[in-house]
Amino acid sequence: MKAKNIVVIGVSTGGPMTLKTLFSELPPLDAAFLVVLHITPEMDFRIAQGIAASASMPAELARDAEFMKAGHIYLAPGGYHLKVEGNHRFALYTGPRVNYVQPSVDVTMFSFTRQSAGQLIGVILTGMGRDGALGLKHMKDIGATTIAQDQKSSVIYGMPKAALETGAVDYVLPPLGIAAKLVELLGRR
Amino acid sequence: MNHEGTDMENGVMIVDDNEHIRQSVQMICEFEELNLVCAASGEECLEHLQAGFRGVILMDIMMPEMDGWQTIREIVERGLYSGNLILMLTGMGQPDSRMDGLQEYVTDYLTKPFGPDQLVDALKYYLKLVQA
Repeated sequence: MKAKNIVVIGVSTGGPMTLKTLFSELPPLDAAFLVVLHITPEMDFRIAQGIAASASMPAELARDAEFMKAGHIYLAPGGYHLKVEGNHRFALYTGPRVNYVQPSVDVTMFSFTRQSAGQLIGVILTGMGRDGALGLKHMKDIGATTIAQDQKSSVIYGMPKAALETGAVDYVLPPLGIAAKLVELLGRR
Repeated sequence: MNHEGTDMENGVMIVDDNEHIRQSVQMICEFEELNLVCAASGEECLEHLQAGFRGVILMDIMMPEMDGWQTIREIVERGLYSGNLILMLTGMGQPDSRMDGLQEYVTDYLTKPFGPDQLVDALKYYLKLVQA
């Protein structure tokens, strides 16, 4: 089923354990989850398997030209940037690094456009640097609800801090609080 | 340099010039029956990797001569990263700009002093990932 609700999560250092905590708390939800983690091609499928092992929803690497489905978790593969065409279809490509990384959270978040139905939610979790800050602001500008991880629970309070500084963050929460907020916003399937 | 077990896969390597830290990690790994390789410098880390070590690397940042960032750059440039996963050990609150461009190779951070439970939880989780 094509996803009407979409959650985009940007994360870097400290991400795998944080994603484990977050997804282990989430019941199946009526949304597609797209995770952009700064990761190498050597490790991406292992990270996806790690997410799948802790989540109630299936998790897999995003594939080029694939359509997002509700109730699924997709991980952007290492070594590619990922854009989402029409808010639903993955497009993978290689190009210059953005914010020193590939995949870049900003690239993915900037590919989204305002949608007339369904919810868009952007989340920035622990990580070094500023990747995702401007992307999250873009998502806020097109009507998304935005969430950043709090300082206390962040392994590295770089990306969430940069996102907060844009003034575009609706909620600042620890991982368990983010899980509860997502359930509140999206409802159970 | 402890050469014991340098040919193993799916182990743990502690890279730290501080002997006390190495011994602490060694005690924890022995208790948890995790295979451990010790390296007192970045050079020793590279030697273990060239000898075939694959697994989870606990990397100190502040080391004399070759620091943690330089060591990671060498690991990548020498093609030794595949099959490994790197967790940084730091006494500092936040990393500096030397990490730019290395984010994809640094999976997690453990801030010293870290508790045994925190270390064991991280090692067990990440060992599962590298073994997947």
